[in-house]
Amino acid sequence: MSCWRFYLRRKFVPYLEGSLPPGEAKRLEKHMLDCDRCRAMFARLRTGHQLAQQLRQFNPEGAQGAPEFEAMMADMGEIVTGRHRWARLWENWLYALTTPRVVQGLTALVLVLSALLVVSNRRVLFGERESVTVKRSALDFSNFHPLSIPEIRLNTQPHISTEGYVRDLHVDKEEGTVHFKLVEIPQGAGPFVVCEIISSIGMSLPREGSRVRVYGVARYDAQPGREWHEVNPVLNIAVLKH
Amino acid sequence: MRIGTGEQERSLAMAALRGDSGAFRELYDAYRERIWTLVVYSIGDSLQAEDVLQTVFFKAFRGLRSFRFQSSLFTWLYRIARNECLNYQRRRNAAHVPLEAILGSNDEIDTTPISDGHEARRVILQNAVKQLPFKMRDVVVLKYLEGLSYEEMSRVLGCAPGTVASRLNRALAELEERLRPFRRLL
Repeated sequence: MSCWRFYLRRKFVPYLEGSLPPGEAKRLEKHMLDCDRCRAMFARLRTGHQLAQQLRQFNPEGAQGAPEFEAMMADMGEIVTGRHRWARLWENWLYALTTPRVVQGLTALVLVLSALLVVSNRRVLFGERESVTVKRSALDFSNFHPLSIPEIRLNTQPHISTEGYVRDLHVDKEEGTVHFKLVEIPQGAGPFVVCEIISSIGMSLPREGSRVRVYGVARYDAQPGREWHEVNPVLNIAVLKH
Repeated sequence: MRIGTGEQERSLAMAALRGDSGAFRELYDAYRERIWTLVVYSIGDSLQAEDVLQTVFFKAFRGLRSFRFQSSLFTWLYRIARNECLNYQRRRNAAHVPLEAILGSNDEIDTTPISDGHEARRVILQNAVKQLPFKMRDVVVLKYLEGLSYEEMSRVLGCAPGTVASRLNRALAELEERLRPFRRLL
């Protein structure tokens, strides 16, 4: 059965030494009559106390005592005068840096800094493309270079605008893109430019056969079987005639 | 030799700070055995204990300028020594070695009277104390070798007297258990 009277057990050693006031000593004895646990613990402490009392008979390490002052100063004198001061300081710093707490703290700091570096350079590390989102309203379409469809093949400007008729309109629902050809002549063969809208938000989608002006980035698709000029992506469409 | 009053301690410390090597020697001689006892019981190896003792007094010499005499010099020195012993043990990563591994099993101990019983008892007792956990060893050394009261121990250790009493109880119980195989010798 456990005993909660820990405050009484703290008085065991003073009781053994005879330094408890009589009233407290009587209270302790009365409790031990009724409490097996405290009685057993008292017996152990009494033995431990008797053993510990024997320590006084012995020098700490046989006959050898602390070094004499001269012996201690033989090293410390140099330290005090600074001759080996820097070596000692360096040693003390090294020991201080290798204590467990300091090592844990430094490790945590290194991990945090590494994580910050990775996060701030993730594009470089993981090859993410910079995705720049620009508001369509922020683009100045008046700076886009106006060209006719046949002139596009001689184009060197990145941003162009051109007009034509929409043909072969195709919506790719899976990729969320819209493709169409822009032609000069509504029927028959003739020069054309392929247009791709990759984000139709904010743009009115053209209808097959309508005349539109597109603004976008000029490209050339050199893949075999293609080899055509493109406006990709289309950044804006103005419907001129349905 | 014990320095009598706080005023004596203070005047010796001030003199040592001014470069009076005689004053510093007096302080060293007054406290070296007491600090030595603690260090030897903590470190175990007397050669290493010398090194630690030097470091303790070196740090005491350096720190004397900032010591405000809010505690006794011994308390202050003891705390430096205690921290230095802790640092030493952390650095050396002292492994617990069972007492039986040092002295052999109970069966190997000859229980007939031996010529140097005093030496055998010393080794057994001191090793048992050295094997105690650090906080328990502290209270045993301060109580049974320094003769400090609970209040004095609580000031040195920086904890409440009740905590000191509890630690002492645990230390004595632990000592009893460790030395039970050797009771006939002690």
